[in-house]
Amino acid sequence: MNALELNNVTKKYDKFTLDNVSFKVPQGTIMGFVGENGAGKTTTIKAILDLIRIDGGNILIWNRPSKNLPVELKAQIGVVFDGSNFHDNLTADNIDYIMRNIYSNWNRKVFEEYLRRFKIPSDKKIKEYSRGMKMKLSIAIALSHNPKLLILDEATSGLDPMVRDEILDIFLEFIQDEEHSILLSSHIISDIEKVADYVTFIHEGRIVFSENKDDLIYRHGVIRCRKEDVKKIDRKFIVGIRENNFGAEVMINNVDLFKRQNREFVPEKTSIEEIMLFVSRGKEVNV
Amino acid sequence: MKGLIIKDFLNILKNFKMVGAVLIFYAVLLVMTGNPEGFVGIILMLFAIYFLTTYSADENVKWDSYALTLPISRERIVQGKYVTMLLFTLSGFMFSSILMLIYNVVQNQKNLFNGIKTNAAIAAVVILFNSIMIPVINKVGILKARIYAVVFYMAVFILGSLISDKIKELYPAPPENLVRFVEVVFKNAHIAVPLILLAALIISYIISVRIYRNKEF
Repeated sequence: MNALELNNVTKKYDKFTLDNVSFKVPQGTIMGFVGENGAGKTTTIKAILDLIRIDGGNILIWNRPSKNLPVELKAQIGVVFDGSNFHDNLTADNIDYIMRNIYSNWNRKVFEEYLRRFKIPSDKKIKEYSRGMKMKLSIAIALSHNPKLLILDEATSGLDPMVRDEILDIFLEFIQDEEHSILLSSHIISDIEKVADYVTFIHEGRIVFSENKDDLIYRHGVIRCRKEDVKKIDRKFIVGIRENNFGAEVMINNVDLFKRQNREFVPEKTSIEEIMLFVSRGKEVNV
Repeated sequence: MKGLIIKDFLNILKNFKMVGAVLIFYAVLLVMTGNPEGFVGIILMLFAIYFLTTYSADENVKWDSYALTLPISRERIVQGKYVTMLLFTLSGFMFSSILMLIYNVVQNQKNLFNGIKTNAAIAAVVILFNSIMIPVINKVGILKARIYAVVFYMAVFILGSLISDKIKELYPAPPENLVRFVEVVFKNAHIAVPLILLAALIISYIISVRIYRNKEF
């Protein structure tokens, strides 16, 4: 079953269009949702959460339309936006009091346990927290009502590597339960590479790819060669080309087939970040 | 919905130190000038303003987008604000009425409940004011709503005075039927005012829900 499914979701603004966005988050997996700033990640998440009206397509959460999702299902979703959504004068104790009057499934013990683990003082006002502490508080809130789906929009951005690592470990723990799923939007690709099972790449409002992370890395490779050698590479394999003073780098697809057909070039291993850069910035180079 | 009301009350109470200081200042000033009714009016107005600050606090932290991800419907979010507004106005009314009673006891007033009627009338105005404000805030946000409110009330005040002057010129004595109607309304204010407020709240709530259902965040 898919925890989340988007089919041809379209949303038009004056200067931006979310164009036929489709991808699925299988239950029990972490989907990394990547793309540069302004690519449409937050708009997509807003559409999933029914914060904006979509102009076309449909969104399903556990096979139910996300529009007017029943509150019992909403209670099983934890959401973290970029930044704290609670007033600065409140304390974690206040939030506990508010949330247990909102969620019927709020688990006070779990919340207190996360506060202890994250070293968040429960009686200190949020305005005295660092950005990392605010994010950790938001994550503690999102995890303290036994959710089955976590939706995180840039939850790790602006944090130092130590805090990011700590948060990513929490996500990996959460996903140990096969009923749990995560949609993790980020422009920090290293975070996605570390935890995601699948990667969806959005560029200028369109999905470029949505695939299993390992398949994606194994299928792609980079050839470093002289500029004049680029012409010798069969164009059907080329994803993108980057040229510099020292030569050219060519991202190729279907590495196994390429290796069988070309003995002259040896593709090197690549990363999600490199694939994204070639797809988004390397395509326009003429071969 | 209870959680939403608690959230608003906590937000307001966290700022109450400043309100307390303002109240003490006005209390001293107005009791010295012998106008306690003016003081209770100010208390209620402060409560009305402080209710509106919950909207500013929400906007600052993008609370509404977050609230919509919680297991609460859009209608409940709107209802939460109306209930907060009524509870807060009621708290203001109770608080200022108790102060009024204390003042009457200290001053050895014959009628201990002197001024409570004025207090109730101001509470009614506050509810009416907020019934107009809430749909406007839901539509345009608190910042623009405040500007619109100032412009609207100034326009009503200026136009009202002009029209009233003109009517006085044309009809030096008001029509008897109108006078009788107003007298009946005043005599039955304990029924008429709650009915008017109820109608205003129902209309305001229906408009707010309609706006909020279609709102994008």
